[in-house]
Amino acid sequence: MKKAIALLCAAMMAAGVLTACGGSDSGKTFTVGFDAEFPPYGYMDENGEYIGFDLDLAKEVCERNGWTFVAQPIDWDSKDMELSSGSIDCIWNGFTIQGREDAYTWSVPYVDNSQVFVVAADSGITSQADLAGKVVGVQKDSSALAALTGDASDLASTFEELQQYGDYNVAFMDLEQNAIDALAIDIGVANYQISSRGDSFVILGEQLASEQYGIGFKLGNEELRDKVQKTLLEMADDGTFMKIAEKYSDFGLTESICIGK
Amino acid sequence: MSLATIVSQLFKGMGITVEIFFLTLLFSLPLGLVLSFGRMSKNGILKSVSKFYISVMRGTPLMLQLIVVYFAPFYVFGLKISSGYRFMAVIIAFVLNYAAYFAEIYRSGIESMPIGQYEAAKVLGYTRSQTFFKIILPQVMKRILPPVTNETITLVKDTSLAFVLAETEMFTIAKQIAAKETSIMPLMAAGFFYYLFNLIVASFMEYLEKKLNYYR
Amino acid sequence: MNLLEINHMKKGFDGTGVLEDISLSVKEGEVVSIIGPSGSGKSTLLRCATMLEKMDGGELKYMGEAAAWEESGKCVYAGKQKLKEIHKHFGLVFQSFNLFPHYSVMKNITDAPISVDKVSKKEAEERALKLLKQLGLEEKKDAYPYQLSGGQQQRVSIARALALQPKILFFDEPTSALDPELTGEVLRVIKELAKEHMTMIIVTHEMQFAKELSDRIVFMEQGLIQQEGTPEEIFTAPNERVREFIGKFTA
Repeated sequence: MKKAIALLCAAMMAAGVLTACGGSDSGKTFTVGFDAEFPPYGYMDENGEYIGFDLDLAKEVCERNGWTFVAQPIDWDSKDMELSSGSIDCIWNGFTIQGREDAYTWSVPYVDNSQVFVVAADSGITSQADLAGKVVGVQKDSSALAALTGDASDLASTFEELQQYGDYNVAFMDLEQNAIDALAIDIGVANYQISSRGDSFVILGEQLASEQYGIGFKLGNEELRDKVQKTLLEMADDGTFMKIAEKYSDFGLTESICIGK
Repeated sequence: MSLATIVSQLFKGMGITVEIFFLTLLFSLPLGLVLSFGRMSKNGILKSVSKFYISVMRGTPLMLQLIVVYFAPFYVFGLKISSGYRFMAVIIAFVLNYAAYFAEIYRSGIESMPIGQYEAAKVLGYTRSQTFFKIILPQVMKRILPPVTNETITLVKDTSLAFVLAETEMFTIAKQIAAKETSIMPLMAAGFFYYLFNLIVASFMEYLEKKLNYYR
Repeated sequence: MNLLEINHMKKGFDGTGVLEDISLSVKEGEVVSIIGPSGSGKSTLLRCATMLEKMDGGELKYMGEAAAWEESGKCVYAGKQKLKEIHKHFGLVFQSFNLFPHYSVMKNITDAPISVDKVSKKEAEERALKLLKQLGLEEKKDAYPYQLSGGQQQRVSIARALALQPKILFFDEPTSALDPELTGEVLRVIKELAKEHMTMIIVTHEMQFAKELSDRIVFMEQGLIQQEGTPEEIFTAPNERVREFIGKFTA
C-alpha cells in the first residue's frame, strides 16, 4: 500500500514536470498573462469567456502570426514569477511602463493612461487640495501607488491615510460605503467602474499622473517582442487597432490610443 | 451578465473546486496514514523527519505552500513549467498540507486504541499487518471520523485558496465576475455554493458515522 | 509428556525483578491454578508464557519444543516460523475479554481460524456454532460485543480461544472484571472444559473454585513459587503465608 501511494505521488509529480517541459517555447502558442479582474483590458464576459481590449489585440496578433492564443489569468502579485518561470509569454494587461522600464523588455506604448482620483459625486471634493486629511484608496502594486509614493508623495503626505486594496472591486465598494473618501486609479478602469455603477461618482479634473501602457516581455526576450510589436504596428496602420478600440469606446478607450503617434 | 450566466459560470468553477476536493482527499488520506507511521516509528530519524515535516506543514500558511509548490520547480530547480502544472501544483500543495493534518488525526486515533486489542490479536496469531488492517484500522476509522469531518469541511473552504495560483476554481471565478459586474453578488452566490457543498459533505459524514454506529 | 515446561524463568521491569526464578511444568489434561497476592508476578508469568512479554532469562518449551532458551546469559527466542507453530498450541483468555468490538460474535470466533489457520469459512462457522451451543450463546451469534453482558462476553472470548483448537488454555483472572452474579456462568464453562480434560492454567482469586477444579495449585509471592501441590496440600499447608492468604479470600 505504501508503495502504491509513493508511486502515485511520483506519477503526479512527473506528470507535472513533463507537461511543464512540453508546451512552452514552441512558438506555436502565445500565452498572455493577465489579471482577469481588470476590465476593460481583461475580464470575463457574458458567456464566461475572457475578453477585453488587450486580449482582443493579442488574439488578432496571434491570428496574423498563426499562433494559438492562450489567455492565462494570473494572480497579479505573482506576475513576475509567472513570467520568468515561463508559464506565460508576456504580461499584456493595461501594464504601465513608467517605473518598470528596466524590469521588462517593453513593446512600444499603445495607450496613454492617466491616474486620476475618483470621489463620490456628493462628497464636496473637487480638487486634489480637498483630499487633505482624507482617506484615499489605491490598488497595491499599481501605478497610482507608485505615483503617490514617488513624484506625488507630497500630495500623499496630506492624506489622513493611504489604504491599499487587493482589487478594484473591493476598493470601489469601500468608496461606495464611504469607508474611504477617494480612490486613486487608472482612468480606463475608473471609466469602466463608473459606467457600470452609475453616476454617483466623479473623476477629479486634476490628474495624479500620466503614463503609458505597453506589453511586458521577459527581460531579454527581444525576439518575441519584435514579432508582436511588428504585427501590432501593422494593425495600427491598417485600422484594425482602432476598430478593436472602438468596441470599448464606452470606457473612453478610443481617446487614449497612442500607438503610431 | 444574467443570473443564469453567473450561476453557470460559478458551476464551472465549482467543478474544479470539487475536483480539488476529491483529489486532495484521495491522495492525502493514504499519505497521511503513511506519514503517521513515520511519526510513530521507532526509527529515530524517520520519526524526527516526519515530526518536522508535520510541524512545517501545519505551521506555515497553506497559501504560502501553494506558491512554493508552484514556483519552486523553476526558481529552485530551473525547470520550465507550463500552465498544465498550475492545477497539478494546487493538488500537490493541498495533498502535502492535508496529509500532515490527517497524519496527526490518525496518530491520535491509533494511540487511543487499547493495548488489549493488539494483545488479543497477537495471541490469536494475527500477523502485524493483519492486526493493523483487520482489527486496529477499522476501529481507528470510527474514532477519527469526527475530526476527519472537521478537516474535510475545512478543505471545502480551503479550496478557495487556489486563487493565489489563479486556478479557475469557484472563488477565482466569483472574483472575476464580481470585477466585471462591479458587484459583490457573485461572491455571495459563491458563498451559497460553498455552503451547499459543505451541507452535502456534512450529511455524507453523518451518514458514515451512523453506519459505523453498529458497534460501540 | 509435558505440554508446557518453564525452567528458571526470569523477568524484570526497569531493574525491578518481577519473576525471580520460576519453574513449572504442566502435563496433558492437567488443570493448574495459580494463586497469590497482587504484585506476586502471576500475571507476568502468564504473559511471559504466552509470549506477550519477552522473558529475560530461562527456558520456555511447548510440547518439548523450545520457544525460548538461554544462550550465554541472554534469552533467545526461536525463529518466526517456529514461534508461529508454537503459538498454535495455546490460547489466552483475558481479564478484560478484549473482544473485537467491530466484529459480531460469530466473526470474533471465526476470523482467526479463517485468516490465521486458513480454515474454510464453512468449517470455521460450524466450529463456532458448536462452541456457542456448548456455551449457551447460540442465539447471540449475530450480536455485537457491546450488546452482551460481561459474563456473555467472557464466554465468547473463551469460544474465540477454543476455536483455534489449542492444546493448552491460559486464563488471566477470567472473572475479576465481572459482577459476582456473572462470575458463576464463566466458572461453569471452565468446569465443563475441565471435565473434557482441557489442559488449563488459571490465574484466579476464586479460592473455592480453584480448590474444586484444580489438579494442582501454585502459590506465588515475590516472584517465586512459594508452594505447589494438590488442593488438599495447599489448603492444609503448614506455610503461614499461604494459610493467611487463603483465609483472606475464603472468608
